[in-house]
Amino acid sequence: MNFLQRIIIEPFESCYEKFLTFMPNLLTSLALLIIGIVLGGVLRIVFLKIFRAVKLDRAAKRVGLFEMLARGGIKDSFSAFVARLVGWFVVFTFAVVAVQTLKIPTVENLLDRFFLYLPNVFTAVVILLFGYLFGNFFGRAALIASVNAGLRQSGMVGRFVKITIFILSVTMAMEQLGIGRDTVLIAFAIIFGGIVLALAIAFGLGGKDVARNYLKRNISSDDKEDDGTRDDIDPL
Amino acid sequence: MMNSVVEREDIQGRINEIGQADILVGVPSYNNARSIGHVVRAVQAGLAKYFPDRKTVLVNSDGGSKDGTMDVVHTTTIDDFHSILLSHRVESFSKIAIPYHGIPGKGSAFRTIFEIAQALNVKACAVVDSDLRSITPEWIELLITPVMRDGYDYVAPLYHRHKYDGTITNSIVYPLTRALYGKNVRQPIGGDFGFSGKLAGFYLTKDVWETDVARYGIDIWMTTTAIANDFRVCQAFLGAKIHDAKDPGADLSAMLYQVVGATFDLMEEYQSMWKRVSANEAVPVFGFTYEVGLEPVGVNIQRMIDKFTLGAQELAGVWRSILPAETLRFLKRLAHAAPEKFRMPDEIWVDTIYNFALAAHRNALNKEHLLKSLTPLYIGRTASFVIEAWDSSGPEVEEKIDTLCGVYEKFKPSFADRWT
Repeated sequence: MNFLQRIIIEPFESCYEKFLTFMPNLLTSLALLIIGIVLGGVLRIVFLKIFRAVKLDRAAKRVGLFEMLARGGIKDSFSAFVARLVGWFVVFTFAVVAVQTLKIPTVENLLDRFFLYLPNVFTAVVILLFGYLFGNFFGRAALIASVNAGLRQSGMVGRFVKITIFILSVTMAMEQLGIGRDTVLIAFAIIFGGIVLALAIAFGLGGKDVARNYLKRNISSDDKEDDGTRDDIDPL
Repeated sequence: MMNSVVEREDIQGRINEIGQADILVGVPSYNNARSIGHVVRAVQAGLAKYFPDRKTVLVNSDGGSKDGTMDVVHTTTIDDFHSILLSHRVESFSKIAIPYHGIPGKGSAFRTIFEIAQALNVKACAVVDSDLRSITPEWIELLITPVMRDGYDYVAPLYHRHKYDGTITNSIVYPLTRALYGKNVRQPIGGDFGFSGKLAGFYLTKDVWETDVARYGIDIWMTTTAIANDFRVCQAFLGAKIHDAKDPGADLSAMLYQVVGATFDLMEEYQSMWKRVSANEAVPVFGFTYEVGLEPVGVNIQRMIDKFTLGAQELAGVWRSILPAETLRFLKRLAHAAPEKFRMPDEIWVDTIYNFALAAHRNALNKEHLLKSLTPLYIGRTASFVIEAWDSSGPEVEEKIDTLCGVYEKFKPSFADRWT
């Protein structure tokens, strides 16, 4: 009898007790998850209405966020996208709380580490977002300025500025995440330094005639030559 | 906000010394030592000849010239009045030459002139450019008399100019102002204006001195503000406008951005007014109109076409969010056209300008990017105009500009409908 008690009944009793202890946690956890899903849905609709009321889509279009989403294959409007993010964020938060409610030590430990790392992920995402926006903005500014200056390589100049800023932001984001910290920095420094050096040499060699003509025109005391190709139109 | 220039001790002292004046002539300058002497002499002679019984002041508002412009203003004087005057001068003539503060630009220089005009409680003012070579004493009479004698508040200039000059005026600002506000002011950004002391005071009530108005936007702002606020407006025929060549380093796209940006800002401010206007009316002209000889203007059409083509190739992505697909397709085709067949029709150009105005109104793009991306289109339009007007006389060119105005007026109702 003792043997039977020790080998079969006690483990079952112990398991049952654990199950009884775990059951409320599981139910609470499930309840939290359901509340999270419902709340996430409600908040998504509420935020969508708010964003539409403040005309967020127009602002997003202006700063290039709409274009960014479209390129990323997202067909939603920016308002709908952000409202969806808000909804998922609520669901995710409730899911994490629900998992913690289960009080499983291994999961708790993993969650602690995850939460400690989360600010880095958030910062990295913000850096990437700003990198994308600044890259687009300054890339477009450089493109327009070089077209107006009559540079044949305007497209390349615009893309160069845009990509450089984005690469810089990726480097910063990766540093924030602690991924290959030194390697990424050194690689960026080498690539960027290399490009600048290459451009300096290219301009130096290719532009020496332009520089000579410019200096001749502006420093020489002789009157400027009119080769018949100047525009004298007064635009105002 | 920047303090008024009249709060400065030295200026205050000078204003107290003068007390009150009847007429003020302002001359904004920046490195114009070579030409400003002639302008100062013409102003002084004009005031002495036509307003001998009035207390007059000349204000030089300088942008920090390094070439001694202000010294030239101080030292320039007319020694022998006998050759130009019928009677001896009675009232006093004073000169104030000061550097202005604020954003560097023509508008900031004008603000200083308005402030001194208000402090001296003047009845009439005029402003003339400091690089003018064709200014005569009669310009002062023509700009001031309509205010002093006939009660006008704003006198816009009317000149004979080379058929290729004033391209921003002819292709954008003049037709747009005429279509929107219904007043046929031929040179709304001419640069030389007359205005009443009352209007100078009104200008100072506006908080625009940190915007493009402080730069090249000042001319269209002055004209539109006068028209839209029901001040009495007229024009004065001044003859030919000949001035020193513009600085070749001056950035055309920045100039275009400031002028067109100020024009679009004014459309926001006075939208309820221009939406009501459905016809345009002539504005009275003072002065004896005559034909004048004009200096030839050099143009390089191929370079203009190349700049347009480069813009059409590289900026199509930017223009896509501004222009309708049909217009965009036309511009792409035009970029591949042979130089002899390069034509940008009035309808396409007007549609382009109205769509840029709508894009600015809807904040579709950063304003500077939006307006600077207009530069290649403007250059393309200018090239097309030069080709079309190659064999045309001055009056024929005026007819073409009048036709363009008609297209602006024709498209206005649908533009107004889309402006919500």
